[in-house]
Amino acid sequence: MKITFDTQSLEINPSDDGYVAMVDGKKMRIEIVRVDFGQGRMDLRFTDISDSAMIRESVFKSVHVSSDGAKRWVTMDGQTLMLTKTSGAKRGVRHDHAGGLIAPMPGQVRSVSVGVGDAVKKGQTLLTMEAMKMEIRIQALKDGVVKMVYAAQGQTVEREQILIEMED
Amino acid sequence: MTSTPPFTKVLVANRGEIAIRIMRACRELGIKTVAVYSAADKDSLHVQFADEAVLLGDAAPKESYLNMDKLVQAALDSKADAIHPGYGFLSENASFALKVESANLKFIGPSADSIRAMGDKAESKIAMKKAGVPTVPGFEGLESEDEFRQAAKEIGYPVLIKASAGGGGKGMRVVNAESELSEAIDSARSEALNSFGDERLLIEKYVANAHHIEFQVFGDQHGNLIHLFERECSVQRRHQKIIEETPSPLLTPKLREQMGQAAVNAAKAVNYYNAGTIEFIFDPVLSSFFFLEMNTRLQVEHPITELVTGIDLVQWQIRIAAGEKFPFTQSDFHQRGHAIECRVYAEDPAHGFMPSTGKLLQFIEPRGPGIRVDSGFTAGSEVTHFYDPLLAKLIVHAEDREAAIQRMQNALKEFIVHGVITNIDFMQAVLKHEDFAQGKVSTKWVELNMESNSLLFDLQVQEQAPALHIHSLIAAALTDVVFAGTKSQPAVSNETDPFSPWKRANNYRVSDQ
Repeated sequence: MKITFDTQSLEINPSDDGYVAMVDGKKMRIEIVRVDFGQGRMDLRFTDISDSAMIRESVFKSVHVSSDGAKRWVTMDGQTLMLTKTSGAKRGVRHDHAGGLIAPMPGQVRSVSVGVGDAVKKGQTLLTMEAMKMEIRIQALKDGVVKMVYAAQGQTVEREQILIEMED
Repeated sequence: MTSTPPFTKVLVANRGEIAIRIMRACRELGIKTVAVYSAADKDSLHVQFADEAVLLGDAAPKESYLNMDKLVQAALDSKADAIHPGYGFLSENASFALKVESANLKFIGPSADSIRAMGDKAESKIAMKKAGVPTVPGFEGLESEDEFRQAAKEIGYPVLIKASAGGGGKGMRVVNAESELSEAIDSARSEALNSFGDERLLIEKYVANAHHIEFQVFGDQHGNLIHLFERECSVQRRHQKIIEETPSPLLTPKLREQMGQAAVNAAKAVNYYNAGTIEFIFDPVLSSFFFLEMNTRLQVEHPITELVTGIDLVQWQIRIAAGEKFPFTQSDFHQRGHAIECRVYAEDPAHGFMPSTGKLLQFIEPRGPGIRVDSGFTAGSEVTHFYDPLLAKLIVHAEDREAAIQRMQNALKEFIVHGVITNIDFMQAVLKHEDFAQGKVSTKWVELNMESNSLLFDLQVQEQAPALHIHSLIAAALTDVVFAGTKSQPAVSNETDPFSPWKRANNYRVSDQ
C-alpha cells in the first residue's frame, strides 16, 4: 500500500520475512524483531536491497512511535519527528481568513481592547492573551476597521482560532 | 533522617514536578503529605502521589494555586502543621508567608521580612550597597526624564532601565543611546504598571555578554548561614533558564570564594534563613560580579547543587522550618564532580519557543548511572495552557564537565516525548555547540544564535540526515500496520482478552488493506 507523510510517499507491503518498502528510489527490507506495545517501541532491522546497493548491510534500530489521528511521532537515534499522514494530494494552503487575526497558540483571552467598527492603526494591540505564563499581544497588521470580534475576555481559545476580523 | 519527624503533615502549595519532589522529601522524613490541585489538574501525578488531596478551584491560578485563603484553609482543614510553597506561585509572597504564620502554621521558607526586603529591586539594591555587596553601577528613586538622562550620562551608555518591582524581564529595556531613552522610559513604565501595578524604575549600567551566576545559600533560625557554591545559568531564552550547571566553567577558586562570601553577606544583611539564592551578573571580560537579585525560595535548578554537595536541600528546608539547627559549617562542603540540568519544556524552539499543548502520547525518561529525572508527567498526562510548560528536569552528575556533557547528550537522546513538541532536540544542539564546550554562552546567546539561524540550522541538519529520514518514514508507516487496532497505546499490556489486538504481537503481519 502507498502511504504519504507530508510531501513524501512510500510504498510498503508484506513480504516473506517482514516488509518491503520502496522509498526515495530505494528498496528496503524490514524485519520486525520485537514490539513493545506499552512503550510504543519497535526494534527493526533494515536492509537496503536496491539493485544499486553494493553491500547489503543491515542496520538494527530501535524506534518509538505514537499516533494521534493523522499525526505520527517517531523517535529514532534520539531525534523526534512529527509527520502528518496525508491523502497524497498536494497539501492545500492553510486556510487563512482574509484579514483575520488568529490565535498563535491555545490560551486564554486576557483583554479585548477594540469593538466592531473601531478604526485601528497598524501595530495597535487589539487583544492580549495568556498561555503558560506568557503574554501574547495580537496587533493590527495594517490600518483598518474592525469587522468582527470573535473572542471575549476570559474565553479559552484554540490554536489558529480566529479572534478578530478586519474589513478588507 | 531524624528519628522524630519534624512535622506530622505538610501541605504542598504547588503542582507538577516540584510538588512531587517536596512530597518525596516529606515521605523520607516520615511526614504525611497534602496535595492541592485545580480542576485542570485533578488527574495529575502530584495529586496521586500525596496521602491526601484538596481541590482548590478552577484552573486559573488566581482561583487555585494563587489563592492564599483557600490554601491556608486547606491546610487547617487537613490538619497540616506546615506549608511548603515550592517555587513560583506564592513562594516569594510576603503576605502569604505572614498569613500562613498567623494561622499558626509554619511557612517552609524564609521570614516574611526577608522576602519583603529582597522583593523590591530598588530597595534590595540599596540594602546590598549598605552591606558592601557589589551592585551594578546605577541609580534608584529617579522620577523625571531629566534625572534619568543625567544618570545615564554619568553611567555611560548602554544602560538598562528596569522596573523596581520587576521580574522575568518585564519592564526591562536596554538603551544604547540618549535618543532612545525617552521612549524606553515610557514603555518600561507602562509595562511595569501593567505587570506589577508599580511604575517605579531604576537605571544601571548594561553589562554586555553577561553571564548569570548564582550562589545557593542556606541558613537556620539560629544564625548559622553558609553558601553551597554556584550555579551557572546563562543558557536562557526570554529571560528564563534552560540549562544550568555547577561548577561554573568561568570561576577560579579565588572568585568563587569572593562571590560566596558576598552571597553570605547579602543574605545575612536581611537576616535570612532557609534556602535562598543570590543571583549575580558576571562580566567575563573584567571577571567582575554584581548583585542582581535574591530569590527567597527553593530554585528550579536546586538538584545540581544537591548532586555536587551531597545534601538534600528540601529535607533540610523542612527541618530548618521546624526549628532544627543546621549542623554543618562552610568547610564541610566541597564541590564533587560536575552536574548539569536541562529543563525539558513543551515548546517549539523553531517557532519562537511557543508553548505546545496536548496529551502526552509517550513519555519515557532516560535511565542510567548519574541520571536523575524530576518530572510531574507521564504518558497519558495532559499538558494544558494554564501553567508553566516545564515537563521535566533532566539532571546528570559525572566526574568532570566533559563527562557530564557527554552523559547529558546521551540522556537527552533517550528521553522520548510524543504528543507535544519539546526543546529536547534544541538542547542537544546547544550542548554540542563549540561555544557551550568553551563556557562562552552568555545570557543573550540563544537569542543571538536563533536570530542568525545558526542553531536552527543545526537542528534542521540533524532532522534531514537522509538515512535517518528514510528509516523514520518507514517506521511511521509501520506504525499503522503493527499497531493497527490499538488506537492509542495504553501504558500497560497485561491484557487477558483473547481477542485483544495485543495478541498481534505474536503475529505482526496484519492484512494489507
